[in-house]
Amino acid sequence: MYRQVIIAVCLCSSLHAHEMTPAYPKLESSYIKGVSVTNLKIFNRRSDVSWYEIGVFTDNWKPVPFASTANIIEVGYNKKKIFDVYIRSRDIAKAVYICTESKVFKGKEQVTLIASRICSKIKK
Amino acid sequence: MKKIVPLIFLLSTSSAMAIDSPITGQVQPKCSVWTETSGVYGHPLPYKLSTVPADGGVPASIRIDVAQADYYKAKFTHPNSFSSSPTLNDAVAWTGSTVVGQVSVSDMSAYEAAKVTYNNVTEFNLTLAGSTWFTVASTAQYGSTKSLPAGNYTALIVAECIAK
Repeated sequence: MYRQVIIAVCLCSSLHAHEMTPAYPKLESSYIKGVSVTNLKIFNRRSDVSWYEIGVFTDNWKPVPFASTANIIEVGYNKKKIFDVYIRSRDIAKAVYICTESKVFKGKEQVTLIASRICSKIKK
Repeated sequence: MKKIVPLIFLLSTSSAMAIDSPITGQVQPKCSVWTETSGVYGHPLPYKLSTVPADGGVPASIRIDVAQADYYKAKFTHPNSFSSSPTLNDAVAWTGSTVVGQVSVSDMSAYEAAKVTYNNVTEFNLTLAGSTWFTVASTAQYGSTKSLPAGNYTALIVAECIAK
């Protein structure tokens, strides 16, 4: 029994996850004229990652200008962070995806690093 | 009498504490990218690095959980360059693949036949809720058969979950 628990704990401790919600964020008017805002939540369960880059993209993955507290945000291990994304009204039609991508450090061993990216689709 | 008074007091207090304490939760479309195993390159030949187990490597294993069916697609990009390496003076030929491994729902095994591959990218349409494990392999061959310079080599896999 104890052995099973120890194995389960060991397996779980090697797991790392990146989550972001909602899947379909809705833009709403912000307190700034001509700028819309939406907020998203990121949850970091990757102990190997503390920084995530926010990006807004068109349907063809071209970047769209946006503003947030920072383009790269720090999210501690097992912590969540709610962040706002501001998009100009004139860019709303072309903005389709809001993504967060993990920033991984260059390793010192002979390995493949894994960057995770989650993209929500703006509700039109 | 001395024993009954405190007992009545305790009972009256506990009944006063009995208030409703609802537990709330929300189920919404959600995708989680779990990086279970980072790949490790084996060095079977002087000019070759490979994550294939037969070459002494370890392929990367990535799990994607989706809470609701048919809201997301998964996209994996296997490396076509090193993110860090010693100076290389010749070209590196890259190959790689992404395949479906374990699945939490047996019908998910159909993802493999329906996958779309282009360049170094593989896309899967996540039509079912649950967990799917993906195995990403990568191989790099230096020059025609030149020896790779000594040093550390790292390459980047990108695992994406994109709302449809």
